[in-house]
Amino acid sequence: MLLLVASLGASSEAKQLAVIVDKTNNTGGMTAADLTKVFKFDNHKWPDGRPVILVLRDPSTPEMQTAIQKLYKMQPEEFKALLSAHVSGVIMARSEEELLKSVESIPGAVGLVDVYSINGRVNVLKVDGKLPLEQGYFLKGN
Amino acid sequence: MGSNKLRILIPAVFAFSALALAHDVPTGMHISTKSPQAHVAFEKGLAKMEMLHIQDGLESFRAAVQADPQFALGHIVLMFFSQDPTEQVVERDKALAARASANPEEALIIDWLANASQARYIPAIQAMNEALSKFPRDKHLHWLAGWWLLVDHNQSQHAVVMFEKVMQIDPKFADAYNEAAYCYARMGNFDNAFANIKHYTELVPNEPNPQDTFAEISRMAGRFEDALTHYRMSLRIDPSFHESQLGLGDTYALMGQQDRAREEYAKAIAVGSPVQKVLWSLQSAATYVREGNLAGADKAFNAVAVQAHEKDFVNLEAEAFRSMSYYQLDGTASFNLLNKAEAVLKEGHKVPQSLLNQELASVLRTRVERGLHDNNKDVAAAAFKQLQALAEANGADGLIGTALHGAAGAMALGEGNFAEAVNHFEEDDSNAISMRSLITAYEKNGQAGNANRLAAKLAALNVPLIEQAVVVPEFRKMRAAMAAKSNAALDPRAKYH
Repeated sequence: MLLLVASLGASSEAKQLAVIVDKTNNTGGMTAADLTKVFKFDNHKWPDGRPVILVLRDPSTPEMQTAIQKLYKMQPEEFKALLSAHVSGVIMARSEEELLKSVESIPGAVGLVDVYSINGRVNVLKVDGKLPLEQGYFLKGN
Repeated sequence: MGSNKLRILIPAVFAFSALALAHDVPTGMHISTKSPQAHVAFEKGLAKMEMLHIQDGLESFRAAVQADPQFALGHIVLMFFSQDPTEQVVERDKALAARASANPEEALIIDWLANASQARYIPAIQAMNEALSKFPRDKHLHWLAGWWLLVDHNQSQHAVVMFEKVMQIDPKFADAYNEAAYCYARMGNFDNAFANIKHYTELVPNEPNPQDTFAEISRMAGRFEDALTHYRMSLRIDPSFHESQLGLGDTYALMGQQDRAREEYAKAIAVGSPVQKVLWSLQSAATYVREGNLAGADKAFNAVAVQAHEKDFVNLEAEAFRSMSYYQLDGTASFNLLNKAEAVLKEGHKVPQSLLNQELASVLRTRVERGLHDNNKDVAAAAFKQLQALAEANGADGLIGTALHGAAGAMALGEGNFAEAVNHFEEDDSNAISMRSLITAYEKNGQAGNANRLAAKLAALNVPLIEQAVVVPEFRKMRAAMAAKSNAALDPRAKYH
């Protein structure tokens, strides 16, 4: 028997990605379309003029698989080509901890992380007015 | 006037006592209550919960906050474990009111659980992770986090990390192995699940629950004979562990031995509480559906509805009618049953509104699915609109949320919006009906890999629920037929054709 077993199965195990920025970034949220522009290197600056620096994980990680499917809407090879063409605007983190630390410490940094890994040293952006785990949130997938 | 020695000694004794109260368990929570009785009762509550003696644990937590009404941690932990919605709100508010007197770890736990209970998940997760990072040797904190992730958020992969951390801190913490076993089973990793259960049974050989867990995981893995053996071992250790008696019924039902299942269910029902009698009778009634005896199923479900009505469990009465609607061959008969279910939910009764809303959401979602199945799109659209209104008025968490997603997925699939259907069904991916539709949505959306993985998962789904009963046996037959058709040489029946 599992404790409180009756509650199980009430929600999905789908992965949800949080869009995180450093604490000094006052951007509360953006549309999915604008977020896509940021992550496809089509928008290089935040509203306050600071340069955008993407912090990403290896494309093989589950988080990036979800991002490639939902945000980039690309095949993995296309995504790798996009990264190769914009090496100077992206930092590749080797772990989730490294990603969180990079975003926390680099002004203008933005990253994607499993929502259950966020800490209080980063801000989480709304996408289309919704935070992760709210109904209809954009960045989720199995 | 006392001596100087005494004046030095008294503060020293107090300082030592305070230190002892705050840190008496080096791998446990930092507990700040000034009341020794509250402290002892709280520790007792945790110990009871560790052994899954839930009611005893709740009583101890209640005793702790009674002894020290300013004990904020006691209030928030009681809120977390309580299943009474009224008590949850009262205890959360008391925890927040007393938060100022909490120590730093307690304050983070309050921020985490109080925010979570109000669906403010971002600050909740931030507080939880901060607590975990600042108190990496607190086994109870990691254990609570594991439970929250598993039970409230269905996150087996994240939860198992917490339970394994508990094992590192305290290798004798029995329930960590129990919970980890369930996590691994839900992830489909039965080797790790059984390894954890084995350890769990060794740690607490005289408790029935390890055998019950062993049985349940065996059943999930399709090892039905092993499941029967361990349920019986559980009952030998404690004949009053009625969940194991129920498990025998469930296992025989899934094995296809419906007469034997009903015999075992009858024994469980005879000793169950009033609400258990009704709940378990619903499972017994489903055995007739499994054997294709629909008239027998109607008779049994109607009997459960009468029983539930007499005891004023109108949500369960409605569930009986909804269950009947699933297998009706005639659409009108199905809708009539759903109408009866909806009507009883609106009668005067004592059942909490939250439970009535949950059942109403399930009824409406079933009407959407049946409407679409019968090509009655107007009925489906009207029911969907009602369900959306219910979710807007009451919040779309938990069962109402999954019902809404299941219905929205069905609507999107019916309209040919396959990507949208996938998005919705993925939010309800443990319901057999949604799983079957999600496979279709994946296929139509060009996600063949996901469709194949989910089809294998659905075919192996062994849960004693009516949705499984109406979906999985048929799905298995269809897969077997397709496999035989695609490779007739491997079909043993081919030689007779």
